[in-house]
Amino acid sequence: MATEDDMPSSANSGGAPRSEETATVTLTIPCTPEYVGTARLTILGVASRMGFSYDQVEDIRLAVGEACTNAIERAATSGAVGPMITIRSHIDPARLTVEVEDHATGPAGSGVDKLRPAAEIDGMNSQELGALLMEILVDEVTVEPAPGGGTRVRLVKFANEA
Amino acid sequence: METTSMNLKVTPRRVNDETQALDLEGEVDVYTAPLLRQEIMDQVDAGVKHLLVNLEKVEYLDSTGLGILIGGVKRLKEQDGSLKLVGPSARITRIFEITGLNKIFDVYGTEADAIAAASK
Repeated sequence: MATEDDMPSSANSGGAPRSEETATVTLTIPCTPEYVGTARLTILGVASRMGFSYDQVEDIRLAVGEACTNAIERAATSGAVGPMITIRSHIDPARLTVEVEDHATGPAGSGVDKLRPAAEIDGMNSQELGALLMEILVDEVTVEPAPGGGTRVRLVKFANEA
Repeated sequence: METTSMNLKVTPRRVNDETQALDLEGEVDVYTAPLLRQEIMDQVDAGVKHLLVNLEKVEYLDSTGLGILIGGVKRLKEQDGSLKLVGPSARITRIFEITGLNKIFDVYGTEADAIAAASK
């Protein structure tokens, strides 16, 4: 996990006022279910630097968890070689940006869903629920191909007004 | 040191002749959800009619967990039974509302409420 502080932060305990920090934190984890919890803990730490409320931090944590889960599913169904997930989080005064990048070669949601046994009701399965949650819990969701193969999901949460 | 913060514990418990409870503790995500799924399937296979899933000590529940609960509701309904959720936190209640699953899940604040509803 690498941390670069562009601006050293003054003591900012309690976290209520909007932070003026800028920093990038990168975490690379094995693309397996065991480590999604680790990614959530890291995001909890990063998001807490920005003065978000408890509910907002929990929203971000869930959204990132969903993005990681999707990456794991893509790897499980495509059998990608050497699968790792990179979670790159960037904070600045305006926003928190989290990019979840995998290197699976299968299309998103392809193949038999080994990790999420089909559980459809009213036509919505858990993958669609995950996508819905991401859309609602953060301000912007972008899905694009990652350089070198795979998928990059970018989640953006705007900082609170000062 | 045993940490359960990122893990899940599921404890089955008999409530009455027709009703079993599953007491959950910890986090339900893509890693831990298969345990919940297995416990629900075990209850279904054992012919349990009414299942109460106790969410009071659940700190995290994502779409994988939601999918498994939905699947459990369906399976119990298929055998003329029910799966009810008990005691979700305000946070998890909000997730039910956001996803519209509050219309699909039977959710009760307490086990007593859930049992009273089942006997109507």
